[in-house]
Amino acid sequence: MIVELGAAGAAVSVAAILFSAVISNNIVLAQYQGICPFLGVSKKMSGAAGMGFAVIFVLAISSVFCWLVYNYVLLPLKIDFLYTMAFILVIASLVQVLEIVLKRFSPTLYSALGIYLPLITTNCAILGAANSAVVYQSFDFLYTFAFSLATGVGFLLAIVLLAGVRMKTDGADIPKCFKGFPITLITAAIMAMAFAGFSGILAG
Amino acid sequence: MTTAEIVLLAGGIMTALAVLFGVVLVVVSNAFAVKKDERAEKVEKLLANSNCGGCGYAGCAQFAAALVKGEAQLSDCKATPAANKQQIADLLGGGEAGEDLVAVVHCNGGNGCYNKYAYQGYGSCAACELLAGGVKACPVGCIGKNSCADVCAYGAIEVRDGGYAVADKQKCIACGACVANCPKKIIELIPRRAAVYIACSNHGKGKEVTELCARGCIGCGLCAKNCPAGAIAMQGALPAIDYSKCVGCKKCVAVCPRKCIREM
Repeated sequence: MIVELGAAGAAVSVAAILFSAVISNNIVLAQYQGICPFLGVSKKMSGAAGMGFAVIFVLAISSVFCWLVYNYVLLPLKIDFLYTMAFILVIASLVQVLEIVLKRFSPTLYSALGIYLPLITTNCAILGAANSAVVYQSFDFLYTFAFSLATGVGFLLAIVLLAGVRMKTDGADIPKCFKGFPITLITAAIMAMAFAGFSGILAG
Repeated sequence: MTTAEIVLLAGGIMTALAVLFGVVLVVVSNAFAVKKDERAEKVEKLLANSNCGGCGYAGCAQFAAALVKGEAQLSDCKATPAANKQQIADLLGGGEAGEDLVAVVHCNGGNGCYNKYAYQGYGSCAACELLAGGVKACPVGCIGKNSCADVCAYGAIEVRDGGYAVADKQKCIACGACVANCPKKIIELIPRRAAVYIACSNHGKGKEVTELCARGCIGCGLCAKNCPAGAIAMQGALPAIDYSKCVGCKKCVAVCPRKCIREM
């Protein structure tokens, strides 16, 4: 269940995991998860950055809780096949709790993240990253945390890049039939191809 | 374990998890409940709820919260009727109710104002303005490229047949979006009860104006001389109406030789 590695191997593999999560195996551009906020909230740079940080925040916390629930509840009881349902439950209630606590103790952070938090409650990127780290790759606790943080950074990178390009294409003289979402989808596709160029780096 | 046991265990654990999280949520939401100022809700109901953004806040709810905290002035909102503002002022114990306003365009040049050149470009007044101060000969003439209409969420202002923008008193809520977006700064909010307004902004003398525009004010001063209430004063060669004195007799409209004092 837990990856056993030597000291040198651990350092290399942490770097590899982080690089893979941020760039070569980017959650949006390589795994096509979280497309909804990626396209929906990338119209303006400020909104895109807010969404990106909200995803990092929720992803880091929720995957840790998912790890605890999976390893200390589901596995010992041998009902680990229920992980998807359990994770949805964990993530949804965790985000709600976070929202309430934030509203009480940090109104500034709440008003900055406020509208994005409910949006990502049951986002597939959050669930996908938790599934991937906790179940498919069976990372240990710290690896799970690092991986989900890096996945969130990958999302932030992708959405900020797209927002930057969209701000240009909004003002550009493009054919009428491509205006709006078509050009955005084409942009996203080209970005995905560019990110695919990194995929060979970790193969050897 | 038999299948039945697994199903029961799975269902039981999931239910237990769900109940646990539910209880946690209830406890947390009670423990960390944020006390809301009840007045904010009442204030919001009294506001225009047009969410026009004219006050600088994201919407009426945010403006209401700022009002209650004392961070915003009631006069920042132009869209709310004065009667409602009075109620809000009573509720919050202070604040100026002000007067109901409406937007007017101080120009009726349009097609009557001569063009300096043939403009062929992006269809906004701001873009046109960048090119030698706009296509119109008059430096304060309506360019007529609908920049005011582009930002009006209520379809209350548009460039009509005359080639200049006209605001619709019925549809206008006086949010001030067009006022801010006009590169010529010739749109103004005036009291809604006003009967007349001056449809020209050029302070130039007769000859200077007639060389630029067939409809502009020549500064003859007939309106000021004939106003029975003394509400019109000449500022240079352009009249200005003091709406606190205006009685709405519309005599100025009748005597204006250039027809640039207009009824609302």
